[in-house]
Amino acid sequence: MTTSLSRRTALARGALALTAMALAAPAQAQTQPQAEIPVGWVLPLSGGSAAIGQQARAGVQIAVEQINAAGGIKALNGAKLKLVFADSQSKPDIGVSETERLIQRENVAVMSGAFNSAVTFPATEVAERYKTPWIVMGAVKDEITERNFKYVFRINNKATYDAREQLDAMDLLKKETGQGPKTLAIFYEGSDWGRSHAANVRKLAKERGYTLVLDEAAPPNQVDFSAQLLKIRAARPDALIAAFYTPDHLLLSRQLLEQQLNLPYGVHSVGGGTEDPSFYKAISPKAVAYYFVQEDRQVDALQGARLPEFTDVETKFKAQLGYDMSAYGAQGFAVMYVIKDALERARSADRQALRDAVAATDITAGPALYAGYQRIKFDEQGQNTFAHGAISQNLNGQRRTVWPAESRSPETKPAWPVPAFGARS
Amino acid sequence: MTTAHPGRPRRPFVPLPDETPTLSLGAAAPRRPHGARAAGAAVLGAILLGGLAAAALPLVVQDAYFLHSCIVVLFFAYMATAWNFVCGYVGQLSIGHAMFAGVGGYATVLLFTGLGLSPWLGMPVGGLLAALLSVVVGYPTFRLRGPYFALTTIAFAEMIRIWVENTDSVLGIPLNGAAGLTVPLRGESLAALQFNGKAPYYWVIVALLVGALAATWWLERSKLGFYLKAIRGDRDAAESLGISPARYQLVALAISAFMTGIGGGFYAQFFRYVNAERLIGVDLSIDMALMSIIGGQGTVFGPLLGAVLLAPLAEITRGSLGGSLLGLHIVVYGIILMLAVLYLPKGLIAPLRAVLARAGLGGGRR
Amino acid sequence: MDPLILSFALVNGLLIGGIYGGVALGLSLIFGVMRVVNFAHGSLLMLALYAAFWLQALAGIDPYASVVVTVPLLFAVGFLIQSVVIAPLIRRESALVVEPLSALLLTAGVYLVIDNLALMAFGPDVRSASTGLALAPLMLGPIPVNSQRLIAFSAAILAAILLSLWLRSTRLGRAIRATAQNRDAAALSGIDVPLIYAVTFGIGAALLGLFGSLLATFIPISPQVGLSFGIRSFIVVVLGGIGSIPGSIVGGLVIGVFEALASQFVPATSAAILSLGLFVLILLVRPSGLMGRA
Repeated sequence: MTTSLSRRTALARGALALTAMALAAPAQAQTQPQAEIPVGWVLPLSGGSAAIGQQARAGVQIAVEQINAAGGIKALNGAKLKLVFADSQSKPDIGVSETERLIQRENVAVMSGAFNSAVTFPATEVAERYKTPWIVMGAVKDEITERNFKYVFRINNKATYDAREQLDAMDLLKKETGQGPKTLAIFYEGSDWGRSHAANVRKLAKERGYTLVLDEAAPPNQVDFSAQLLKIRAARPDALIAAFYTPDHLLLSRQLLEQQLNLPYGVHSVGGGTEDPSFYKAISPKAVAYYFVQEDRQVDALQGARLPEFTDVETKFKAQLGYDMSAYGAQGFAVMYVIKDALERARSADRQALRDAVAATDITAGPALYAGYQRIKFDEQGQNTFAHGAISQNLNGQRRTVWPAESRSPETKPAWPVPAFGARS
Repeated sequence: MTTAHPGRPRRPFVPLPDETPTLSLGAAAPRRPHGARAAGAAVLGAILLGGLAAAALPLVVQDAYFLHSCIVVLFFAYMATAWNFVCGYVGQLSIGHAMFAGVGGYATVLLFTGLGLSPWLGMPVGGLLAALLSVVVGYPTFRLRGPYFALTTIAFAEMIRIWVENTDSVLGIPLNGAAGLTVPLRGESLAALQFNGKAPYYWVIVALLVGALAATWWLERSKLGFYLKAIRGDRDAAESLGISPARYQLVALAISAFMTGIGGGFYAQFFRYVNAERLIGVDLSIDMALMSIIGGQGTVFGPLLGAVLLAPLAEITRGSLGGSLLGLHIVVYGIILMLAVLYLPKGLIAPLRAVLARAGLGGGRR
Repeated sequence: MDPLILSFALVNGLLIGGIYGGVALGLSLIFGVMRVVNFAHGSLLMLALYAAFWLQALAGIDPYASVVVTVPLLFAVGFLIQSVVIAPLIRRESALVVEPLSALLLTAGVYLVIDNLALMAFGPDVRSASTGLALAPLMLGPIPVNSQRLIAFSAAILAAILLSLWLRSTRLGRAIRATAQNRDAAALSGIDVPLIYAVTFGIGAALLGLFGSLLATFIPISPQVGLSFGIRSFIVVVLGGIGSIPGSIVGGLVIGVFEALASQFVPATSAAILSLGLFVLILLVRPSGLMGRA
């Protein structure tokens, strides 16, 4: 009598095993020279961060098109790059599972992604365990490159850099004009990114002698910020530091305009919504006038030659998505060129050799600098210490870099202090 | 328009099929006819043998990704079984069960990082804390019926999730807010429940699943289970016969929460990272509930079946569709859910059971 | 606490609360009549918002004018969802009152499908619509009141009043109420119950069509916007009393004011916890809500 039920269970398990094994692609032999080098990307392609995942994916795909069209990896007999994308759904466990799949099943030579820090953090640990190099894109959690890992590299800013740059910009403008804010308000979204940024700002503000008169978190997807704006108004800060994703930033900016809330030294946004091109499509220019935006890319890039690859990616990106290049599209693009550079130097798609080549990266020119850095070189923890963002101010409907000073165009005249609403045209 | 009072169901007493509890005063568990007892032993045997067979898998298949996938599937099967332990038998829909996983997971990690307590002990402690929470939450909530109960469980879970995300530390215990907690890497350490390979994790989850299935098997045959069926059939009649619904429901909930808490601890050890959004979030609760319901709640193997079918399906659709069209795999998931609710209300296990019953090898009771 | 600031907060709370109440009207109606907890309520609002957006983006129709299109459009969508997806469930369970849990799961499936189809079709980017009407804020003393919100608020109150009247005085309205009271008796008196259900669902969705147009100018539109409105609507409906039309408005106002005032004293994240706590408390202490009959 036990046979039927136990057989059913065994059959079920057997079926599962067979199905899974059937689905498993045969492992590619790694010894023969590969005509295609698989590159794995974990990105949030659905869920709340889908817009950014899409932008990053577009940048990555266009970069690979360019690289393959230009002859692939010359050191490997013109081997082409093959992209394998996986959707993390912004969930850490799914990111981890997809990483396992990409490494074990798809046999990728190198991994990248995953924008969400909560996903990137555990997923890079998997890569470290499997000795597969991972080049981080987008995730700012400091600890990602503070674990003494050998296989994890990051080209973009750590969270602490972002906060530091915002205050650096204020200090710079203060030095140039003799005026600056004494009191700050921080208003941020209440999950991982917003809070960690606020914590960094808090620490730095204290060190640099700013007083925080308001420190407030808001749950995501709000429909009305009136209550908080009242608090901000009552606290009378000289400047407001904001960390919000697109929908909430849209609402905030609109309501700031509606309520004519004057901030003498302006709104300083650490990206999120304000580095999302769709944000600018949806908002009236009046609402974002004079905004300071810290982002991982210089919108009015001056550095170096204007490479044809840049024009090409910008055109194709816009054609594909309907708006201008974004920071995450640029980062995805940049990471692909870092990978190309490493492959050329490694002369091999073997993970260990590739990892060593990535660690020895020192790029001072070329498409890999599209994200706006002057140099890409990783320290022992895998962090690109030359990573920096740029702070722009929205002047006459254009975002113009004001910090670092070297990146500022001579025509750019920062508005500091920021004109009150009544005084604006 | 009349308002529906959430505390009183309006339907007449119609015993649910398959369950015709015979209530008698001084209710003792009814003596089972010989055939049913043998069938019961068969189920237990199936569980244990199945567990052994499953445990043998890593000896045959070494592929790490395959084992990883199995662990994920079995993890969800375990969680769904734990959910089913109370919700399948009490007949309520809890969509906040993840709060117990969150408590278990966070407790396991904090006990390890703060007190150096081995997760082997930390997981049961986390489970007990989850059970305690469940009693606090369940006591007032079980008075509610149907959708009100479900909405309240979501509300409680969301309150806890938001609170954890907003709290950096409480009473000196670092919760780290929304950033989550990491389990420090110890390499290969049995005491710390960390392994370099997949096989040990696999064995742990198989053992946990076997335990949960066995517990459910026991429930079906126990006095507790009998009382729960009576309460589910007609709560007021049961109450009038001296069966206190609250007490038995709470016991079942506490056991379920205990198991769910341990599951949260396992999650922490396997992924080595816990955060409120994933481990206390409504998505996890919905996953647990859906797998159990689609598989067949109120049965021993239903949740396992649901997990075995849905988890790989989610992974496959994500793998083949997720990268191309945003969100398509979730559309597929939603459609399957709707079809299951409409055409397989008793779960996928119902047709299987019918086949077995016709073959005269009933696993249920008559 | 500055009394001016508090009164400002109160006014804002009333405005947004009334809007919540209006959005929740459809949910209350559907639950009151059909005992179906419509998990996809927020998704329908999201569709309405997108409809208003696309009507403007593609045909240049001002959101306020697009009401003429969105209301019947959403009515049709709601009618269809009920007839095609939910009706089979009700038919199957015709021996009992429909098992509310299955309906909840079914509508959860609808929510998953709609939200993600929207993601696939519209993309994840946030959109917004704008109105051509130049609306200066209305000044209540020193307090500026946003006109768009005021319009939506007024629409909510008006919709609630009209709906109540309609339910009471027209034949169809009375048929709906009869079905809500006792489905079998209604069927016996010759009411086509499945049709009534479909019409009710349609009306619930049509109300969302109205608010989609009215909210499109100041709510950021994205595929995810539905869920938070959906959850808010549940809280409002429970607070106000299931199936009570005025209760929906009252519940909305209470929540709106509560959150607005609480946010002055604690961060909004804690206020969210308090709202949820209030919700649980109401369910446990006075489950029929503020305006429901116990």
